[in-house]
Amino acid sequence: MIRVSEVCKDYHSETRQKQHRVLSNVSFDVSPGEKLAVLGKNGAGKSTLIRLLSGVELPTEGSIEREMSVSWPVGLTGGVGPSMTGNDNIRFIARIYNKPFKEVHDYVEDFAQLGKFLSEPVRTYSAGMRARLNFALSFAVDFDCYLIDEVIAVGDTRFQQRSHEELFEKRADRSLILSSHVPDVVRSYCSRALVLHRGRAKMFDDLELAITIYQEL
Amino acid sequence: MQRDVVGGIMMRELMTKWGRRNLGFAWLFCEPLVFAFPVIAVWSLVRAPYEHGLPMVAFIWSGYMPILIFRHVTGGALGSIRSTAALLYHRRVTPLDLFIGRQGMEALGNLASVAVSFAVLHTLGALDWPDNYPLMLLGFLYTAWWSLCVAMIVQVLSERYEIVFHVWPPISYLYLFYAGFMFLADWIPSKWRDAVLAIDPPLQCYEMVRSGLFGYRMHAHYDIPYLTFMLAILTVVGLLLMRDVRKHLELE
Repeated sequence: MIRVSEVCKDYHSETRQKQHRVLSNVSFDVSPGEKLAVLGKNGAGKSTLIRLLSGVELPTEGSIEREMSVSWPVGLTGGVGPSMTGNDNIRFIARIYNKPFKEVHDYVEDFAQLGKFLSEPVRTYSAGMRARLNFALSFAVDFDCYLIDEVIAVGDTRFQQRSHEELFEKRADRSLILSSHVPDVVRSYCSRALVLHRGRAKMFDDLELAITIYQEL
Repeated sequence: MQRDVVGGIMMRELMTKWGRRNLGFAWLFCEPLVFAFPVIAVWSLVRAPYEHGLPMVAFIWSGYMPILIFRHVTGGALGSIRSTAALLYHRRVTPLDLFIGRQGMEALGNLASVAVSFAVLHTLGALDWPDNYPLMLLGFLYTAWWSLCVAMIVQVLSERYEIVFHVWPPISYLYLFYAGFMFLADWIPSKWRDAVLAIDPPLQCYEMVRSGLFGYRMHAHYDIPYLTFMLAILTVVGLLLMRDVRKHLELE
């Protein structure tokens, strides 16, 4: 269970003296096994919400309680060090999450199919390769709840199939919180949706209704 | 303290900074020397071999190595949370872990290069064996401690105030004159000396290094309990600032 209650997040504004409020009084729960979509236009606060859920940034007001293990925000940036090679990232993550290096390495090698690129720095990777590495690492560590920020659509068909298989067949009991712009991705992964607009959040049990409302924003 | 996280960061630091270059880990020791040797060579050519009764090479070496420690440890701290933000995406990795891992590694590398440069210059006959080497070593350790305190504070402030990026370079240049690179505390007029020493911890570190190196040939001024007390206070200030930093963090 993750309980988000009355969460607000302010960011420092470069131009104005006032703080800029990105999220305002957001409350919702995520139960084990639930697959939740986060919908919103660019700048609506999707990535901010995902970072707050993961605990890497702290809310300005309100609280987030986590009663299950939550992944880092799996996206294009963050989680993997760009100046480190793929193998160094595997080593680092295996170490901080107390997993045997070989196990993580073998899994990543098989899932991400990066071949010799694993010994190149991540900054030389394409967007799709980064997404594959980041996904593979988070599956190798194994969490109760996965936070995925926009990256599924970046990967190729094979990657999308593998991700779907991992999240729905091998990890059907796990939770998923997925931010995306792409209605088809949301339809194939999620059963509920949270729509973000102007700092406010509204939960919809009817996914199609949420998608329709999001497209009309 | 999270040993495996800090260990992982140190490992990462070693690999990304030095691991795959031609010289590999040897760079850890050699990199600071690339700066140190030309400076020492040039200074010892333009100055007389002895000044104020002290051998010139030893005086410059003991002046320049602490500067290197300070500049490398504090310089790398500027904005370093931003540059390693990707790793902070892991909740277990705290800004303090990153600091200890990266700046600690930097301090260790620089201390190692102190040892290597000493060995090289001593073998060449340019440096005599120190009068009291534990004291000299302690002086370098206090220099590293002082540098880490300043680095911690600079790092957190640079995360919160953009201006630190502009203000820090001139301050670190002025540090050359402030810290004791080219002077001894004994040369300060006696009526001001205690006041200067009280607010100038790096000068006391210098005095320890040089007292260890030169022994009776100079009159050293330092107070280890006072210095320890000051650095402990700075450490606490740094840790308190660091504890708060996640709240102000704005990741990409």
